[in-house]
Amino acid sequence: MSTFDASTLIYVIQIVIGGLLVGIGVHFVPVGGAPAAMAQATGVGTGTVQLATGSGLTGLISAGLMMSVTDNILLIVLSGAVGAMIMMDVTMIVGNWVYIYGIGVPPVAAKVDYDPITKDPQPPYISPGTVGHGVPTVSYVSGTIGGLLGGAGGSLIYYALMNINGVSGLSAFFAIGIFVVNAVIASYNIQGTIEGFHDPKFKRIPRAIQACFIATLIIGIFAVLIHGGA
Amino acid sequence: MSVAAGGGESKIDKTKLTMYGLGGGILGIYLAHVLNMITGTGYFSFLAGLGAIAAIVMGADAVRRVCAYGIGTGVPSIGMMAMGMGLVAAMFGLAVAGVAGPIIGIAIAMGFGYFVGMLANKIIKMNIPVMEEVLMSLGGAGAVVIIALSVVISGQIGYQDMLNDVVFTGFIAIVFIAGALAILQPFNANLGPDETQDRTLVHAISTGGLAMFAAGIGSLITVGVGGAVLTMLIAAAIWLKAFLWYFKLVKRDSAGVVGTGLLAEGGL
Repeated sequence: MSTFDASTLIYVIQIVIGGLLVGIGVHFVPVGGAPAAMAQATGVGTGTVQLATGSGLTGLISAGLMMSVTDNILLIVLSGAVGAMIMMDVTMIVGNWVYIYGIGVPPVAAKVDYDPITKDPQPPYISPGTVGHGVPTVSYVSGTIGGLLGGAGGSLIYYALMNINGVSGLSAFFAIGIFVVNAVIASYNIQGTIEGFHDPKFKRIPRAIQACFIATLIIGIFAVLIHGGA
Repeated sequence: MSVAAGGGESKIDKTKLTMYGLGGGILGIYLAHVLNMITGTGYFSFLAGLGAIAAIVMGADAVRRVCAYGIGTGVPSIGMMAMGMGLVAAMFGLAVAGVAGPIIGIAIAMGFGYFVGMLANKIIKMNIPVMEEVLMSLGGAGAVVIIALSVVISGQIGYQDMLNDVVFTGFIAIVFIAGALAILQPFNANLGPDETQDRTLVHAISTGGLAMFAAGIGSLITVGVGGAVLTMLIAAAIWLKAFLWYFKLVKRDSAGVVGTGLLAEGGL
């Protein structure tokens, strides 16, 4: 068992901050779930965990790559954030191609009358019987922020664990483990779907922050005690 | 993703399933470890795979109990969370407690599960009465599956060998995702108002067989060809038997299975 000293405490704090970033990031990602898969709701047509894990894993790969050349925490976290943002953006834009050219629906948000970024009116474009479709500009920007927070959080957890056990496979999967727990808690908070930061559900974020803080703290304390073998 | 999944009655009691799942899992892990050590071979690794299947059935039952409430995020999320909690707890147990590792790891995973369930109910206010108890079972099932599939690959429990055989080789990724899918897929595939417990659980046996088969492929380069082929053969037999059984239950539960042939010319 590793000893528990001042530097371990710092790693626990880093893991907790990472977990919080993941939990907050999920609230920004436009997840539409099954209705969105049928173009009947705004967002990408899959679940929070799939989206968060996809972008989180890409973030871990880019963070791991950066970690092989430098120890600078800022560069590693930024690299992870950029990797996750790219993954998130690619997912959203390819999803939009399918919605626009495949299904033939315009991307539109249903929770606001005017897109807060482009100021375009939204209600005229909503097909009757649906609650929006595609990934409109505001959701796209929101999703990119979500990727940034999620990727930064995941790579911060990875960085802390790598410094403790030095085994990349172990650290990566612990990071994914902690990532998934936080992503699921956060997605319970939004009940599985959200359009982005303009969605009224976004105001529930304080509850997720409390829950993610406690959950990550408990799991993080166990995670930092695991050594990387002889 | 909101699946108001329904789900039929439970014929098999949850306590019994949890007991068999945990007991079978721990028994399989230790039997594989001890018999492999005594004989100095890898032929008994398959016993850990059988333990994993017991835990997968228990996990799948926990998934169907909680998802019947409509958790709003899709069935896969809860299976992934089970593995996330299980992984950290399992590795902690193995790293600090040596041979007692699996038991410690499983206990901690169940603690995580109870705790996260409490957070979901008290802070997120999901108000699902079975949340704590179900996440406790799921955390335990996740930890058993991770350890058992890892033992299939490494042949024994020691932490250092586990690192060498499972983590450094990258097989941990397969253990994680194959285990998660085996737990979440049965209910995800069978959900709906006509879901029946025995059909879901038989499906869990077949997905468990597939996870065991995947671990068996991994063990080709770690425990040797003999033990690996034995694991794979047993896993394939389990899968075949369970899948045919499952198909029979599908036909039992469906309104009717009728061969219509192709549509006639101009039939559309």
